[in-house]
Amino acid sequence: MLVVMKPHATPEQVEAVVERIRTLGLTPHPIPGTQRIAIGITGNQGGLEPDLFTTLPGVADALRVSQPFKLVSREVKEEDTIIDVGGTSLGGRELAIMAGPCSVESREQVLETAHAVKRAGARFLRGGAYKPRTSPYDFQGLAEEGLKLLALAREQTGLKIVTEVMDVETLPMVADYADVLQLGARNMQNFSLLKQLGLARRPVIVKRGPSATIKEWLMAAEYVVSRGNYRVALCERGIRTFENMTRNTLDLNAVPVLKALTHLPVLVDPSHGIGLRAHVAAMARAGVAAGADGILVEVHPHPEGALSDGAQSLTPPEFEALMREVRGIAQAVGRSI
Amino acid sequence: MFIAMKPHATAAEFEAVVEKIRALGFTPHPIVGTERKVVAVIGHTTGLDPEDLFGTMPGVAEALRVSQPFKLVSREVKEEDTVLDVDGVPLGGRAISVLAGPCSVESREQILETARAVKRAGARFLRGGAFKPRTSPYEFQGLREEGLKLLALARETTGLKVVTEVKDTETLPMVAEYADVLQVGARNMHNYSLLERLGTIEKPVLLKRGLSATIKEWLMAAEYVVSRGNHRVALCERGIRTFETMTRNTLDINAVPVLKALTHLPVIVDPSHGIGLRAHVPAIARAGVAAGADGIIVEVHPSPEKALSDGHQSLSLSEFEELMKQVRVIAGAIGRPIPA
Repeated sequence: MLVVMKPHATPEQVEAVVERIRTLGLTPHPIPGTQRIAIGITGNQGGLEPDLFTTLPGVADALRVSQPFKLVSREVKEEDTIIDVGGTSLGGRELAIMAGPCSVESREQVLETAHAVKRAGARFLRGGAYKPRTSPYDFQGLAEEGLKLLALAREQTGLKIVTEVMDVETLPMVADYADVLQLGARNMQNFSLLKQLGLARRPVIVKRGPSATIKEWLMAAEYVVSRGNYRVALCERGIRTFENMTRNTLDLNAVPVLKALTHLPVLVDPSHGIGLRAHVAAMARAGVAAGADGILVEVHPHPEGALSDGAQSLTPPEFEALMREVRGIAQAVGRSI
Repeated sequence: MFIAMKPHATAAEFEAVVEKIRALGFTPHPIVGTERKVVAVIGHTTGLDPEDLFGTMPGVAEALRVSQPFKLVSREVKEEDTVLDVDGVPLGGRAISVLAGPCSVESREQILETARAVKRAGARFLRGGAFKPRTSPYEFQGLREEGLKLLALARETTGLKVVTEVKDTETLPMVAEYADVLQVGARNMHNYSLLERLGTIEKPVLLKRGLSATIKEWLMAAEYVVSRGNHRVALCERGIRTFETMTRNTLDINAVPVLKALTHLPVIVDPSHGIGLRAHVPAIARAGVAAGADGIIVEVHPSPEKALSDGHQSLSLSEFEELMKQVRVIAGAIGRPIPA
């Protein structure tokens, strides 16, 4: 249920509603909007009577939320969520550009990439230190050493760090270094990890599971938000289909569908979405044209020597060219970079 | 295998190559490009060395094996984009082709009103089904020849070219009499008897992707038509079947850049079937054009809520106008015109 306060409701009136919710043994989630405050209620098993709240002073309305996802839905919060990442915004009119290598491999590699992607217009540096590789024999990442290199790149460039957290055990350490925690596609339904991310003090990017429906994906985001971490963004990175000429099938249908259903920022990962270096730029353009709030692109100074994802990583000049094209599309849809 | 002639090869040199191909028991397929002529060799050429057989003939630039199973539709064989000439209106090429109209032709008023409106908004092709392959046998199956006559009337009134679906070989001659472009529906993409027949007629073909067809299977279907002699084929991505249920299909926009690299045929995107939700058709049309599609095909109906088919994904006339405004801006951003 969602309790919508009147535009001029006093803080005491809001507090009284919060108290009433707690008294009922439920969890209140105050959601400040530009016009008015709404309070989401979770924890109820069956439906609640709107009368419980509409009779309180300052309450405009009490509504049932029709979707199984509550706090992430637009029914509960109409305005787009803009995540403040230490002064850099993720979401909103300005597109969030995230770029960097699949894996952090060396000091030179990550610094060279960071400087190059910053020059081209990125505000976030992506890079994996803990890598969930399909084969146990493949490179698994530099672990804490990689995180330290990312922190060094941040110091030098001012870019915000986006890096994957693979499990509950390493979460505190990764959160120490990262500005944004990425939840990988294969962990989208790792509910223990989702719950812990709900308590983390870092924004979270939830990547879509390779065979997750949009609804399941939103429920995963709801896990994080319902524990108190409202700074969540979604990232479409391609789903598993019968087509084998591309690594995944980037589901750009999901972009306008999500923008209608949820207030969370929606990012697109064209690198994993198509998996072919030559076509990453076309899919980045398409994602932005469909209404995505940002892109996440794999860039490596020498893709042919990359320890992972070389086939889909762009060189720095290729990334620069991609950014020129994406700027043109962004302008055409009234967004800035 | 294909043999590329030198830019200034003579007609006699070209003819000699064609003759040699016939003498070897293979079928020659001449493909005339703007720069040079190419002859594709169709047959079981496995084990033969192209350079040995043709490399030393006068006028021959190179003789190569085609690495893809699709030959005539591949860019290896023809580098330049194919532009279909539909009685003076191009389908494919730099300008974005816009095809729009109702799912089904329902009445004289409906089709004429839609035709005038989509033309005003910038469409050059009118789509509309007269023979409808509906999932349920109890649903509206189309007005048949009566529908084709109404489409022809709309063409006369507006000058739009008519794109309509042909369902089977039996009705092909009749549909071809009225249509300017024959559409092969997604469910018929693997109907090889129909594909073979389409290869022998003189109408352009719009080949929709099968619901569970890979890009390779789809190109092989196009190859069926082209290898029989009909080179005027365009491809249309209209969404594939996935586990996602919130949208009608999953539009595979990945297919657009992949196809543009693999084939010289025009690639059209159908955002209406691709997402199946009216509110989101413009966003997906924008994405298709941004990805490099050569055109879009959009379902438009004067009163979608009363449509006999596909109402939930059809745009009203004013919604289509708004879509065109958005698509024009995207086309402009990637340097492609949409003629007014």
